[in-house]
Amino acid sequence: MNAALTGLRRGKFWIHFSLIVYIVATLFPLVWLLMSSFKTSREITVNTWAFPKHFNFDNYRQAWDTAKIGLYAWNSFYVTIIACLVTLLFAAMTSFALSRMKYSRMNKAVYQFILFGLLVPPGALFIPLYRLIQQLSVGGIHLYNSHFGLILVYCTYALPITVFIIYAFMLSIPNELEEAGIMDGLSAGGLFMKVVLPVSLPALVTVTILNFIGNWNEYILSQLFITSESLRTLPTGMASFNDGYRTNFAALSAAVIMSIIPVLVVYFFLQKQIIEGMTAGSVKG
Amino acid sequence: MKALRNPFTYIAFIIPTLVLYALFFVYPVIVSFVYGFYQWDGITDKVFIGLDNFTRLWEDEVFLKSLANNFYFMAFSLVVNIPLVFLISILISKVGRMRDFYKSAVFVPVVISTATVAILFGVLYNYDSGLINQFIRLVAPDSWAREWLSDPKLAMLSILIANAWQNIGFFIVLCLAAILNIPKEIVEASKIDGVNGWTETWSITLPLIRPVLFVMLLLSVSGTMKVLDIVQIMTNGGPFQSTEVMSTYMLKVGFRSMELGYGSAIGVTMFILILVLTGILQKLTKHEEVQY
Repeated sequence: MNAALTGLRRGKFWIHFSLIVYIVATLFPLVWLLMSSFKTSREITVNTWAFPKHFNFDNYRQAWDTAKIGLYAWNSFYVTIIACLVTLLFAAMTSFALSRMKYSRMNKAVYQFILFGLLVPPGALFIPLYRLIQQLSVGGIHLYNSHFGLILVYCTYALPITVFIIYAFMLSIPNELEEAGIMDGLSAGGLFMKVVLPVSLPALVTVTILNFIGNWNEYILSQLFITSESLRTLPTGMASFNDGYRTNFAALSAAVIMSIIPVLVVYFFLQKQIIEGMTAGSVKG
Repeated sequence: MKALRNPFTYIAFIIPTLVLYALFFVYPVIVSFVYGFYQWDGITDKVFIGLDNFTRLWEDEVFLKSLANNFYFMAFSLVVNIPLVFLISILISKVGRMRDFYKSAVFVPVVISTATVAILFGVLYNYDSGLINQFIRLVAPDSWAREWLSDPKLAMLSILIANAWQNIGFFIVLCLAAILNIPKEIVEASKIDGVNGWTETWSITLPLIRPVLFVMLLLSVSGTMKVLDIVQIMTNGGPFQSTEVMSTYMLKVGFRSMELGYGSAIGVTMFILILVLTGILQKLTKHEEVQY
């Protein structure tokens, strides 16, 4: 019995050991980068493994000024937030109509039509999309080189998956709940606002996290549609800083660290929700 | 139930979605197909050339190279990433204590933007000061250090590693959830039957998580066929087009050479290829339902 127990423990020990090795190996680059961000470029080359001699924030100052991380993070932030809210509102309204309102044939057709969007990668559509954005203006605002255009495109490409998730959730709401609402004299709009939307909160949180991270990290659309330097979002701003400062290692490290920190802090507090939200779209079966 | 049969509310509720969707999604899909049949620089008149753009693809060495690289990407995901994902997930599922910590730790790279990951690895792969070469110099002769991203033989592999670093955690979480979902009774029954250790993994766990393996397969196939960001920032297809993939090539053809027709044909090909590949996968696994 005793031998069996130690055998078990030894087994677990090796499992823990392997996992720790794996995690240290994958996350060490980030630690190394953090150390490098306080060093001078020369120090990085000569004393790669050493702890920085003193905490030198020059790199951060330089990266902040040159890479304009503050400005780009702000651009990313508000584009992301607005796109998320609009997506959420539109998708919730559509999901409500499709899952609860009594137009079954139409519902099915519209739902299938929207799901088609999950099959086509936006990457395949860049050329016509680019031409379209260049030519369109809505309410006097040109879509090209504006946050407005970017927000509309972000919303569109987030809609299929968002509808997919919210629809599935709303479909599972028991009929009794809405019957009670109707007895109280609620209209369809009232039912949506006062009954279905509050009950669907878990699904709404999930999709918001999914879309928030998707938009915050989005690179290529922003790269194609935004030409003014001051309108760039964080990923495109970082990429162009990378192009210009490939040799200035220390500043580059500081810029990368600065762009990662907020994400990691949020991740630290909302791990469970973020993991759930980000993987929600893929577990369809 | 009259409240739920109000055509005005119904239309008001679905119209905003449909308008955005029709304008920025459906319209570009249709237009891609149309452009694909034309020769067009975006300025002068379009010239209808039938299927010429599509036949040209198969004689275009750069396109064929890109296609091959997309398949290299896919093969690497299937042969290296997925087995590694499975192994780590099994290990995490076998421990009780610290499980949540492991799960959170492996997921960290997933939340970082691809653009940042690409830049991070650009730094790591640097010849003089990058972490990879510094590590090699520490444990091996200096001459083993490499120009990871500017050597045509190594650039693709270097990108694949960066991509794996970012994506593996996502798949581990999916796979782990499936493993932990296997009913306890099955595992215990098999233990009573004398099955344990790796036999259990091979003959009990693996067959039972087939649905999630299928999801991982689908995501890998479609993900690697449309891969773009990481390649564009790390090498933009270079050196000497050794890392060109369909989407980077499409952007170059469309925006640099201003061949909008040919570029659209590449986009359409990419889209059809993804549909066909995922369709085949779905056919292959259609009859497999897992029963507990």
